[in-house]
Amino acid sequence: MAAIPNTALLPRKRESLLLGWASGPRNRDSRSRGNDAVNKSTHRLRAAPSIVVMLGPALLLLGIFVVIPMLLTIWLSFQNWSSETGFDTAHFVGLSNFQEIFGRASVGRDFKNALVNTALYTGGSVVLLLPLSVLFGLLVYQDRVRGGVILRTILFSTYMVPMIAVALVFSKLYAPADGPLNEILGAFGLPGSAWLSSPDTALGSVVLLNVWQQVGYFTVLAVAGLTQIPGSVYEAAAIDGAHAIQRFFGITLPLLRRTLLFSAVIAVINAVQVFEPVALITQGGPVGATNVLTYHIRRVGIERSEGGLGSAMAVTLMLALIVMIVALFALARRGGDEA
Amino acid sequence: MQKFMLVIGLALALAPSAALADTTNISFLTHWAPDTVAKLEAAAAVYSKQHPDVKVTVRAVPFGDLLTTLRASGGGADGATIAGIYNAWLPDLAKDKLLAPIPDAMGTEVKADWPAGIVGASSANGVLYGFPNEIDLYALNYNKKLFDAAGIKVPPKTWDELTADAKLLTDKSAGKQGFGLINSWTAGVIHPFASLLASDGGALVGPDGKPTLDSDASKETFALYESLIKNGYSDPTMGTSNANTTGPFLDNFVSGKTGMIIMANWWESALKSGMGSNFADVATAPIPMGPHGDKPHSISYSWMTVVNAKASDAEQKAAWDFLGWLDGPTSGPNGGSAMGDILISMGILPSRTSDAKAFADKLADPFLKAYLDEVPDAVPFPVVLGGQEFSESLQQHIEAVQFGKESAADAASNAQADAADILTRAAQ
Amino acid sequence: MTARTISFYGPFRRKPALGDWLVLTAIIVVAVMAAFPLVWMVLASLETPAETMRTPPVWFPATPNLNAYGQVAGVIDAGRSFINSAIVATVTTAGILLTSLLAGFAFAKYEFRGRSWLFAAVIATMFLPPIITLIPLYRLVGYLHIDGNLAGVIVPNLANAFGIFLMRQFIRGVPNELIDAARIDGASELRVVFSVVAPSVVPAIAALALFAFVYHWNSYLWPLTVLEGNTSQYPIVISLSRLLSYNRGAMNTGLVMAGATMAVLPPVILFVILQRFFVDSIVNTGVKG
Repeated sequence: MAAIPNTALLPRKRESLLLGWASGPRNRDSRSRGNDAVNKSTHRLRAAPSIVVMLGPALLLLGIFVVIPMLLTIWLSFQNWSSETGFDTAHFVGLSNFQEIFGRASVGRDFKNALVNTALYTGGSVVLLLPLSVLFGLLVYQDRVRGGVILRTILFSTYMVPMIAVALVFSKLYAPADGPLNEILGAFGLPGSAWLSSPDTALGSVVLLNVWQQVGYFTVLAVAGLTQIPGSVYEAAAIDGAHAIQRFFGITLPLLRRTLLFSAVIAVINAVQVFEPVALITQGGPVGATNVLTYHIRRVGIERSEGGLGSAMAVTLMLALIVMIVALFALARRGGDEA
Repeated sequence: MQKFMLVIGLALALAPSAALADTTNISFLTHWAPDTVAKLEAAAAVYSKQHPDVKVTVRAVPFGDLLTTLRASGGGADGATIAGIYNAWLPDLAKDKLLAPIPDAMGTEVKADWPAGIVGASSANGVLYGFPNEIDLYALNYNKKLFDAAGIKVPPKTWDELTADAKLLTDKSAGKQGFGLINSWTAGVIHPFASLLASDGGALVGPDGKPTLDSDASKETFALYESLIKNGYSDPTMGTSNANTTGPFLDNFVSGKTGMIIMANWWESALKSGMGSNFADVATAPIPMGPHGDKPHSISYSWMTVVNAKASDAEQKAAWDFLGWLDGPTSGPNGGSAMGDILISMGILPSRTSDAKAFADKLADPFLKAYLDEVPDAVPFPVVLGGQEFSESLQQHIEAVQFGKESAADAASNAQADAADILTRAAQ
Repeated sequence: MTARTISFYGPFRRKPALGDWLVLTAIIVVAVMAAFPLVWMVLASLETPAETMRTPPVWFPATPNLNAYGQVAGVIDAGRSFINSAIVATVTTAGILLTSLLAGFAFAKYEFRGRSWLFAAVIATMFLPPIITLIPLYRLVGYLHIDGNLAGVIVPNLANAFGIFLMRQFIRGVPNELIDAARIDGASELRVVFSVVAPSVVPAIAALALFAFVYHWNSYLWPLTVLEGNTSQYPIVISLSRLLSYNRGAMNTGLVMAGATMAVLPPVILFVILQRFFVDSIVNTGVKG
């Protein structure tokens, strides 16, 4: 085999702000650093037609079935349009939809409430899901104690249950007064909760339900990320005398960065788009405590047939997401892993 | 030339039979459960035997998704030819010109054989848009066993009696509440409220279409809720409705933890199935009257079948003919309609006068008596543009009172302000 | 040759230290907490309708019975619905794997102008909740005449930004030496992808296959909208939902639980099959030359 030049000495490629996020900690991942420069010349020889072949199918499908409806939605946000009619009935109203959703009447109040609920739901979900997924991932991945495989199966099974069944089961588990969860809490001497039956606890209850349902999914992601860490790194650290906690914070967490950022982005997107639990269990109540954005968009945009308003809400949501994700990337980048 | 004549001759000879061979395909969109859909399909098969040139396909969607499906189909030519709709959706659909008005001859028939209130609720701007089918009302459901244990002999007729009875029936230590109030489900929240309001001489919307949620009667109704909650006779955590109208509010009544609750007639089968032999403990009574009421009034709401205005002329005609038969006195047993037969099988009340007669024996159920007695005085829930939004706004204010987030007085004035804004905006 | 004693430590792989006991406890606690609602679902499927409406909720059915299972198969066309779900999930997953692998490779390993922006645009397509594009997409699909059947359910989902994102993530970790070696040996780009890159990211492919399959197996709103009420085309989750009508919902809870218990099985079986791929990591072995 031909000798491969010592790529460690070549300069690192700069990436844009959006994409300058975790590609591995500095100095620890010699694989992709600088390699691109070497391969540039060989790439370009075959690049052009290959790019079309590689990207063509995906971009075409996404373009037709995602981008076009997306553009339609943006266009509709400036129109007055009844969702049950054809697009030809839409007429232009400029920014008035946006003015309404940010206004003081009930439309604006409900939208603001939905924004707040969605933010709380997203924050709560992500804060719980990410650390738990890493913790459970470690439990699954370790080989000192048997049972990792069974645990992984059980955890992922929660993600596989149809939402309709999850809704029915949890509405029973969450029964206030003597429901099963309250009984269990009582066995530990803790007070019961009103769960879904009070505006103060309903949103939190839905967050917990969501965490239960999705933690297996994120654990699988975390495990996939853990498998990418070479065992040799741990061996070297063990030889140096590092103990478990040091190994975790010094090796595992930094090397999981790429996976964690990915999980964070997906967790945020999933949480912001939560729909079925609310639609099936609480219908936004009680007192609008679980009215989240997507459910509200369906209520307004589809059920009340106010297509323009619904689209304006969706566009606002999309913008908020863009800001959040860009911030996530910037945060990861500032976490100090590359120039 | 000869060949040409032959071809023409053949074409002429075949033409009439070709026209006969053309079947018109119509579809019927419904949210009914699979066993009921089977009944509708059976009726459609009977019709097709009598009319071989018409084929009826049933399109069924889950109950909670019917509205979304209606809206998404955009009333295009591909949309269902016939749809069963909740009357509250009528004004929007009519405004967007998605519905075909009923043909005159059939309209006369409907006006003759249906109560005026129902005909009105099935019309928008004076135009009748289809055949009404089911009617639903509310009544006071109570547990006779709990009544006996508390020493109550007769169900409450007035609000004062209601409150007094609720007090006797409440037993916090045993987890029992005297009167159940529902939350987290729009109809469950606003319909009982509206029934109590109507029984206090009030209304949600005045004859001019403007809301009257801050009238004295309305304030009193909000105050009734507030006092029941504050005194502990009603526990909001026991009234939650979860997935699809099941949940604690149902479970608590079934398990004898709720003394009284105002609910609709169609939950009878759920009660029977949940309580088994204990269903004998359940009795129904008219809505209790408020201090300014003339007599008990229940709110009523109804469903109807409509025809897609964007379907072809042939399809529309076939659809109306089918509906005329389905809802007419020749398709079902005893001079009743096939539609009435289907509704009865679901434990739902048909609204057609001739059906009420034809199925009188099935309707002679003691549970249904209170509901049927209320039919003549029932107040239809307002069918207005923006009705959906109006309902959801009112629901939020009532729930706010239930959970102590808003005082009754504030709820009344805020609900009124929101409703006024919503209805004026919708009317534009 | 000396004899070796093989010791059996039960759930442990070596003589347990305190840490090992903690780990075992943690595993058991987490497994129980996660499984609890699942077990509840199965138990509820064995209850009578009256038991499902009891408050406080019943933990164990008095006389467990399989009535709900027999009934649900008859009331909705369960067999047909399962087949529909299988078709939708399998075909969509295959499409997603293919398009994501190819596009992910291009984004990870190709240099071209505008790459960052294009990738950002792809990610941005994940930002709009499906509910709002429901109606425009439905009208579009109608215009293309694939509405009303499974094709309309499948085709719009054959490419997926999440899949591309995931593949790009993991393919970035594949050493370029491996790829170049294959190229130098004369492999075409497609061959590089399938013979070199794909085996290197097997855990990610397995994960994506699983996620995509489960998601589309349980997918509800889009199939419902596109299938326009054609019950013979409904996947199992929609058929189950039909049981929850407002006057029958309470009584059919057990049926839905039974149906859901059965509906969980195919994804679980797929998971068990794909399990072992999560452990392999060829990236660790890498290039040793």
